[in-house]
Amino acid sequence: MERRFHTYRYPLSEVLPSLDELARYLHMEDTEHPAYLYMVERLEQLRSSDLEAVGGYVVGRVDSVEVAEGRLAVEGVSFAVGAQVAGYLKEASEAALFLCTAGALFSDEAHALNAAGDFLEAYIIDAIGSLTVERAMDRIHAALAEEQAPLGLKITNRYSPGYCNWPLLDQHQLFHFVGENPTGITLSPSALMHPIKSVSGIIGIGTHCRRRAYGCVICQNKTCIYRRIVQREKAV
Amino acid sequence: MNELLQKLFTCVEFGKINTASPYPPQMRGQEGAQELTQQALAEGIAPSQIMDEALIPAMTCVGQKFTEGKVFVPQMLLSAKAMNAALTYIKPYFSSGEVKRKGTFIIGTVFGDLHDIGKNLVCMMVEGAGWEVVDLGVDASAEKFIEALNEHPGAYVGLSALLTTTMTNMKTIIDKVHEVHPDVKFIVGGAPVSAEFAAEIGADGYAADPQDDIKLLEGFLNA
Repeated sequence: MERRFHTYRYPLSEVLPSLDELARYLHMEDTEHPAYLYMVERLEQLRSSDLEAVGGYVVGRVDSVEVAEGRLAVEGVSFAVGAQVAGYLKEASEAALFLCTAGALFSDEAHALNAAGDFLEAYIIDAIGSLTVERAMDRIHAALAEEQAPLGLKITNRYSPGYCNWPLLDQHQLFHFVGENPTGITLSPSALMHPIKSVSGIIGIGTHCRRRAYGCVICQNKTCIYRRIVQREKAV
Repeated sequence: MNELLQKLFTCVEFGKINTASPYPPQMRGQEGAQELTQQALAEGIAPSQIMDEALIPAMTCVGQKFTEGKVFVPQMLLSAKAMNAALTYIKPYFSSGEVKRKGTFIIGTVFGDLHDIGKNLVCMMVEGAGWEVVDLGVDASAEKFIEALNEHPGAYVGLSALLTTTMTNMKTIIDKVHEVHPDVKFIVGGAPVSAEFAAEIGADGYAADPQDDIKLLEGFLNA
C-alpha cells in the first residue's frame, strides 16, 4: 500500500512563540534591555508575514522492536534507533515518521546577522525559529493523538535522530521511508537538515503507548547555556 | 585603576555600547565603550593597558557572572557588543604588534553538528580575554582544522558538540589532527561532554563554560 504523508500547514502567526514564552526561554524579562525590544519588534514583524510552517507524518505498521539490539522495523524499513528509543517504542504497533520545518528565514537571517557581528539579534532570531518549529510540531503531535484516540490508540513522545543515542545518519532511512513530501526539507551527506530550523523523528502508536516527562523538566545539565536547572533550583 | 578605564570596564560589564545606546537606563546619555576607548587612546593610555585593565577584566567579570547563573546569554552578548565597539579602535594595534595577543585559538563545531550558540559565546569570551580566535563555524571536518593549523602554527584547538551522537566525532578529529600536528592541544566542550569523556578521547582539557576555556588556555601558556 502506498504511504500517505499527512500534511499540516500553519501560518507563522499561529505557531510563533508569545513574547512571554520567548522572554522566559531566553531569561530576558528586563523590558528595557535591547534584547527584549528586539524580541518585541521581530515577533510583531513575523506575525504579519505570510510565511508558514509545514510538516506532517507518514504512519506505518511496526514489524518488530528489538530493544537490546536497538532496532526497529517499520513496513520493511529498518531503523537503528538505539536501545533507549527502542525501549520507549516497545509497545508501539504503528509508528508515525514525521518532518516539520519553520522555513529557511530563521537560519538565513541568523547567519547574516552573525556575519555582520550582530550576535545578540542572531541569537534571538535563532531562538524564535527553534521555538516556532517545536510549536508547529506540538500541533502536529496533538493532531496525531486526536486522530488515533477514536481507535483506542495512544501515542509516545517524539524522538529524533541525533538524540537519545539514535545516530544522526539514520536520518537518511527516515527520509527514505517518508518519501515525497511537501516540506521542502533536504538532507546533506552528513545527515543535516536544511532549512536548519526543521525537526524529524518518530512517534510510537499503540494501545499501551504513553508520553513521559521529557527535556528541560528532567534534565540535570548544570552547565547548559540556557541555565534551566538554575531557574528550577531557584524556584524550589 | 584609572578613572577612565574604570568607566570603560563598567560600560563593557553592563553593555553600554556608545552614547546613543539607551541601555542600561541608569547610564542613558553617558559615553559608552566606543567613546571611552577613543578618549583613552587620545589621552595616551597604551592600548595594551586598555585591554589588560579594562576590557579583559570586564569580560572576565561577565563570564564569571554567567558561570554563577547571575546573567544569561543576552546580557553576555550585549557585553560582547560593547567589547567589540571598543576593540574596533584597539585592533589596529594588534596588527602593528603594539598589542600582543596571548595566542591563537582555533574553534569549530564538529562535523555532523550545526549547533553554534555555545561555540559563538566561547569565541567572544576568548577573544575578549586577549586571544586571536579563528572560528571554523559548524559541521567542521578534521581537514578544516588541519588546514587552519597549517596557517596558524602553535595554535590551540577547541571542539564543540551538542549531541551525544556527534560528540564522538571529536575523537576522530583529534586523532586525524594529531597524525599531522602531534603536539596540538585540544579543549572540548558542549552539553553532553564531560571531563571523563574528554580524557577518554585524548583531549587536553574539558570546558564546561567559556570561562573554563580561558582558564585552560592560560594554563597551557604557563605550563
